[in-house]
Amino acid sequence: MIEITDVTVKYGGVVALDSVSLKIAEDVVGLIGPNGAGKTTLTNAFSGFAPVTDGSIVVNGTNLFDLAPHKRTRWGLARSFQKVQIVPDLTVEEHLKAVLDGKGIGKAQRVGAISKALDFVGIGDIRLKQGRALNPYQRRMTEIAKCLIGGPRVVLLDEPGGGLSEAEMQHLRDIIRGIHPEFGAQILLVDHDVDLIRDVCAATAVLDFGKLIAFGPTEEVLADEVVKTAYLGR
Amino acid sequence: MDPLQKTSTWIGVALLALTVLILPMVLGALWIKVLTSAAIFALAASGVALVYAQLGLINLAQIALIGVGGWIALRLNYATDLPVTLLVIIAGGLTGVIGALFALPALRMRGLYLALVTLMVAALAQIFFNAFQFPNGGEGFWGVAQKSADAVRRPGFAQSDTAYFRYVMIALGVAFMLIGLHKSSAPGRAWAMIRQSEANAMAAGINVTFFKLWAFALSGFLAGTSGALLAGALGQLDARSFLAGEGILLFALAVVGGVFSWLGAIVAGLLYKLLPAIFNDLGLSADIAMIIFGAALMHAIMTAPEGIAGQIMGAFKKGGSDD
Ligand SMILES: Nc1ncnc2c1ncn2[C@@H]1O[C@H](COP(=O)(O)OP(=O)(O)OP(=O)(O)O)[C@@H](O)[C@H]1O
Ligand SMILES: [Mg+2]
Repeated sequence: MIEITDVTVKYGGVVALDSVSLKIAEDVVGLIGPNGAGKTTLTNAFSGFAPVTDGSIVVNGTNLFDLAPHKRTRWGLARSFQKVQIVPDLTVEEHLKAVLDGKGIGKAQRVGAISKALDFVGIGDIRLKQGRALNPYQRRMTEIAKCLIGGPRVVLLDEPGGGLSEAEMQHLRDIIRGIHPEFGAQILLVDHDVDLIRDVCAATAVLDFGKLIAFGPTEEVLADEVVKTAYLGR
Repeated sequence: MDPLQKTSTWIGVALLALTVLILPMVLGALWIKVLTSAAIFALAASGVALVYAQLGLINLAQIALIGVGGWIALRLNYATDLPVTLLVIIAGGLTGVIGALFALPALRMRGLYLALVTLMVAALAQIFFNAFQFPNGGEGFWGVAQKSADAVRRPGFAQSDTAYFRYVMIALGVAFMLIGLHKSSAPGRAWAMIRQSEANAMAAGINVTFFKLWAFALSGFLAGTSGALLAGALGQLDARSFLAGEGILLFALAVVGGVFSWLGAIVAGLLYKLLPAIFNDLGLSADIAMIIFGAALMHAIMTAPEGIAGQIMGAFKKGGSDD
C-alpha cells in the first residue's frame, strides 16, 4: 500500500507537484501525463531527489521522507531513471553488486540473487560485459535488473520503454508483468506509451501541470474526457 | 579482473622485485636516496590520483597532509619507543582522519571551487609548518630544539639507505595493493556509481558522503604514510619542503603520470624527484624540469587523458592479443 499525501514540490517559481494525494493498493500502477506534468518529479520525491516542501509518502507504514535517500533504497525502494544510468567501466554484474553492497547481502546469497535478476530480464549471458559495451536495450535491462535485486518493495520505472523497438517492447511488457509475481514488489510505471500502460497496469494515475487529474481503473481513466483533452489531446 | 589489469598487476610485482633486488646493486648511494624520495612521493601521488580518478575531485593539499604525516611521525618518534613500522601506520591513520575532516566541509564542492579550497588549506598548512617547524627532539609539545638531538629512527632491518629504499618500495607495493583492493571491491563500485551521478549512487543505496570521505581518508592515509617515510629517509623535515605550490605540482604530475593506474603514480614520483636530480647531475638548472613539467601537462590535458601510464599500458594492450 502506497499512500501519497499532499506532496508538493517547487523548483523556484515552478510548482512541479501541487499537493498530490494518491492511495495505491494495486500491484502495477501506471502514471501518465504530458511532458513536464511532474511524473519524474514524483519518482524523484519517492527517491529523495526532489525539493519536497510538504506532504508524505508512506509505504506499508514507513514514511519514506523520514529516511535518507540511500536508506530508502536499502529499505526496498528501487527505481530506474528516464535517462539510463549505466557506468561505462563497471560490468553488468558489478552494477548489481553495487546495490547488494549497500543492502549488506553476503557473498553466499549474491551469486544466486544476481543470476535470478539477470535471468529474469534475459541478460544472464552478458554478466561480465562492461557498461560501455552495452546496447540501449541491454542498458535498460541492466537498469531494471538493478531494481530487482536485494528484495525490492516498491519499483519505480521511469519510461523504461523509451527508445525500444517493437519486439523489445513486447519483452519489456512480459518483464513488467512478471515482476510482482516473481519479486513481490509493487510497481509504479511511468510511460508515454498508452498501449503499454493499458496492457500491464490495473490502475492509472494522470498528472497534468503538477496536479492529479484522474486516478482509477486504467480503462476508465483512459476513456475519461478530461484525460483525453489534457493528455491524449485528441 | 580484466586481462589488462592482470597483466598490469604482474608487471607491477616483477618491477617491484626487480627494483628491490637489482637497483641497489647497480646504483650509487646518491641515486638510491633520490629513488627513495621518488618512491615516497609516488605513494602520496597515488592518493591524489585516486581521489581524482575515482571521484573527479581535485586535491591540491596533498603536500600539506604529507607534512602532517611527517609531523606526527617525528612527534611520535621522539615521544615514544613504538616500532617504526607501527609509527608509520599510526601517522598514516591519523593523517587519514585529518584528511577526511578537512574534506567534510568541502564535500558539496567540486571542480574549481574545491581546488581553490584545498589550495587554501595547503597555504594554511604552509604557514603552520613555518611557524612551528617540525619536531627534532626538543622539549615540549612542539618539540623543536635549536640543534637536533637524536636522529629519526629507522626499522632495525632497514638502517642503511639501501635497506631503507627496499623498505619504502615494499611499503609502496603494499599501498598499491591496498588501492587495487579498494578499486575491485565495494568502495570501488560505490565510487564508480558516484562518478556516474550522485542520484544514481543514492538510488543504488550508496552512502555518497561516506564513500567520498573514505576516498579522502584513504588518500590522506597514503599522504601520511608518505610523510612518515620521508622523515625516516631524510632524518628531519624542513618546512620549506611543504610549500603550497608543491601541492599543485604534485597534483599536476599525478595527472601527467596518469591517475588511473599505479604506474602513473610512479611516473609522477620519478618526474618530481628523479628528473630534477638528473638535471642537477648534468650541470643543468633544475628549473628546466619545471618547463618540461609544463609541457608534459599540456600534453596530458590535450592528448593523453590517461597520462604517460595510459600510453605505456596502451602500448601493451596493442601488443597483446585482443580478446
Ligand atoms: N531539477 C529541476 N530544476 C528545475 N525545474 C525542474 C527540475 N526538474 C523538473 N523541473 C520542472 O518540473 C516540471 C515537471 O518536470 P518532470 O520532469 O517531472 O516532468 P515529466 O512529467 O517527467 O515530463 P517528461 O514526460 O518530459 O519526462 C517541469 O516544468 C520541469 O521543467
Ligand atoms: Mg519524466
